[in-house]
Amino acid sequence: MTADAPPTYSVGELNSAIGSLLERGFAPRFLVQATAVKPQVKKGHLWLTLTDGESSITAVAWASKLKQLNYVPADGEGVTVVGKLNFWAARATLAVQVLDMRPSLSTVLRRFEAVKAQLESEGLINPARQRTLPTAPKRLAILTSVPSSALADMLRTARERWPLTDLLVVPIPVQGDVSDRINAVLQSLRQAPPSLQVDALVLARGGGSREDLMVFDDESICRNLATHPVPVVTGIGHEDDLTVADLVADHRAATPTAAIVSLLPSRETAALLVSDRRRQLTRTLFGWLEKHRQRIDDRRDRWGAITPQALVEKRRSQLTQRQQLLLALSPQRWLARGFAILESPSGTVIRSIEQVTPNDSLVVRLSDGDVLVEAQAIETVNPPDGTNP
Amino acid sequence: MAPKAAKDPLKQWRQDAEALNYEEALQAADLLLNQLQNDATPLAELQQTYQRGQIYLERCESLLRTVEQSVLQLDPDTMTTSALDCPTHD
Repeated sequence: MTADAPPTYSVGELNSAIGSLLERGFAPRFLVQATAVKPQVKKGHLWLTLTDGESSITAVAWASKLKQLNYVPADGEGVTVVGKLNFWAARATLAVQVLDMRPSLSTVLRRFEAVKAQLESEGLINPARQRTLPTAPKRLAILTSVPSSALADMLRTARERWPLTDLLVVPIPVQGDVSDRINAVLQSLRQAPPSLQVDALVLARGGGSREDLMVFDDESICRNLATHPVPVVTGIGHEDDLTVADLVADHRAATPTAAIVSLLPSRETAALLVSDRRRQLTRTLFGWLEKHRQRIDDRRDRWGAITPQALVEKRRSQLTQRQQLLLALSPQRWLARGFAILESPSGTVIRSIEQVTPNDSLVVRLSDGDVLVEAQAIETVNPPDGTNP
Repeated sequence: MAPKAAKDPLKQWRQDAEALNYEEALQAADLLLNQLQNDATPLAELQQTYQRGQIYLERCESLLRTVEQSVLQLDPDTMTTSALDCPTHD
């Protein structure tokens, strides 16, 4: 064989050489972003075509791996595949072997929009449906992954903020195809015996990519949350992440920690309230005493006004008034002004000429003494209209 | 036999307060405060009302200061509770 002569292979040798080349020259694992076309399970294995619209390649998730996948795409969904090359030397065929598969962001957002539109049309997403959160819940259920940093954060916040509320931690898986499990847990909580009833429920998951939160866009979970008998607060992902679960919840908190803050009162604020009550109680006690002291002072003033001396003075004043009144009405005042009183010698006051006959002796009383007179004649006074008979 | 001495009322009130949770104790204190403010308390009961109010408020403060949060883990399959199987303190 000369240097310029092309190598000669049997088919088996050729395929084997290609396989060897691929094995040496290709990364042991890689990411492919593509659209999944016609995924279908054959003999337990998932077969699909990955395409970018112009090029395509077959991919397979072996049955053993398929069971572990959190997500299986529908036809036409965007995916990110972690894979490696599979080369079958016997037929020189090539496929991407799926090691892991996740929905692409566009797939996640499409599902979000579809479920949101559906639940909005049914009225399950509606701010008017949101219930008021309990002000000091006796017990909360926290549905989250155990253990997790989100749970640790929530427990620390609850301990610092309001340790008087009992916490019931309910472990749930929070990623992948776990909607059935979460639904089952929600259903169990609905049927919880009275000793395990809670006043509110927190559904929480720490940060991650938006794709990781896809389970919280699951329609059945969101329906379950929307109709849950106690108020639901979500704290899912980061502040910017919005899932359908957030939209059906009674309150959406930006983070798991914020969810706890929204439900538990502040211990510091409560301590201030109690010390304010203490001051108020003391102030009220002294106010009571002051008011009653004032009442006693009033009584004392009133008693002071009715001493024996004051009473005698009052009577004296009344007597003087009466004396003055009597004086004002005394006949002596009229006599002093020039009037006189005519009396018979027996003391009868003469008011008419009818009581007098000529030559009667009469007494005229003046202010300083009496004059004894005799009636010489009796004359009738002409009436003013001149009708003298 | 001499009649049994009356129980110390302060002690009794403290025992009563111990049985109340935070909201109940605060409500009880508010009730007494209202009585004082409405002038409905006779002088003979003034000191007692005040002391009882203080005891209820002490109960509130004590709960805020010392209570340990109860954290249980619920197994949703069996609906049984147990201590949380992960650390709750950092």
